[in-house]
Amino acid sequence: MIVKEWCMYCGECAGVCPRNCIQVRELTLEFDEEKCNNCNICVKSCPVNALEEEVG
Amino acid sequence: METDVLVIGAGPAGSMAAKHAALNGAKVLLIDRKSEIGSPKRCAEGVSKDGLKRLEVTLDPRWIATEINKVRLVAPNGTDVLLDEDKVKLSEVGYVLERKVFDKHMAMDAARAGAQIMVKTLATGMKKEKDGIIVHVEHMGNPMEIKAKIVIGADGPESRVGRWAGLKTNLKPGNMESCAQFEMVGVTLEQPNCLELIFGSVAPGGYAWIFPKGDDIANVGLGVLSTETDKTAYQHLLDFVATYPGTQKAQPVELNVGGDPVAGLHKELVTDNVLITGDAAGMVNPLDGGGIISGMTGGRIAGEVAAKAISEGDFSKNNLKDYQKRCQKEIGDSFKKYLKAKDYLLSLSDDELNSIADAFNESDFDRISPTDLLKVLIKVSPKAMLKLGKLF
Repeated sequence: MIVKEWCMYCGECAGVCPRNCIQVRELTLEFDEEKCNNCNICVKSCPVNALEEEVG
Repeated sequence: METDVLVIGAGPAGSMAAKHAALNGAKVLLIDRKSEIGSPKRCAEGVSKDGLKRLEVTLDPRWIATEINKVRLVAPNGTDVLLDEDKVKLSEVGYVLERKVFDKHMAMDAARAGAQIMVKTLATGMKKEKDGIIVHVEHMGNPMEIKAKIVIGADGPESRVGRWAGLKTNLKPGNMESCAQFEMVGVTLEQPNCLELIFGSVAPGGYAWIFPKGDDIANVGLGVLSTETDKTAYQHLLDFVATYPGTQKAQPVELNVGGDPVAGLHKELVTDNVLITGDAAGMVNPLDGGGIISGMTGGRIAGEVAAKAISEGDFSKNNLKDYQKRCQKEIGDSFKKYLKAKDYLLSLSDDELNSIADAFNESDFDRISPTDLLKVLIKVSPKAMLKLGKLF
């Protein structure tokens, strides 16, 4: 997952992630890419459009 | 490190849990991932006066931005309905807080009660042991282990602690209100000390709000459901601020975003050695999205139940179950009617909302009871009877 510079670390993505893959730190967002199955629920729910799925 | 009770998250619910666990004799550690408790806020900052009183929180002018005694409901075409305390008992009557100060003060109360606090301390995982829980944390980059007999998860809408413990706390996107808010200066308010709630397609799946903070300052925000719109909450906020009459001269000084869980109280709040509370437990009024008082109420019960379990030496799910029961009674039961009211509100089109506002203004009530309200709604929209009839 690509986390854009304007992410505000609010954690909404972590709350809706069905697999509990997202760790919100104070100024970073970490994805457990192995657990993630690219459902994109986090991308769609982000209030500031700061997540983008990595292609390839 | 070892402690009786580890509280993860120092928002108002977590601080309340830590305070009451400590007051009841437990050794308590309260951790928060951020460097500053209470910042950034993820909230419109409104609380009821009754709620703070019930929680026995001593009022402090340092965290009260302004007092609220009126609510203005605005239909999509601008027709408004003004509710004040003479007309209707308003649960929203209360204060708009300065959460950055309030949250810190609640944590200070926990510390004064005897809790130890660590900031910039992130929980990264946990595992169950025979006689407790090992929580992995990172403090300023250093990995550490904290052994606790009871863990209270007050980690907000992210709600990871509950899920690590096997509780089903994750929310479908249709149950997570996506919120964006500016704190603004230069806001024109129709009435002083008056909340404004704006309904309709301006905020699909939610509503927009203006919560005044004194003078020409206000929180201007909205919540949307990502299942109801293709735009982000932030884009909706920009559109709202550009078109709403009261914000034409307003400028932002802060942006807040975040998720608000509006599915009602989670079914499971307890397992062996673990309790969850606050937003993490769904302690948010599903109709208005407010969760400060309900979260703090849950936090207080969590602290009391945890301390009692510590003194009894039994941290099993069975012995912590009292928490589930009390939360259901004191918080969850009231949410059920709000959930129905929310479903009804979300089913209304802009035209229906406009007609309801008109009908409201034509009817002449001295005091509005819920039954009067229902009569007005049914006159405009027969489906109200179906959806709301059983509530009153």
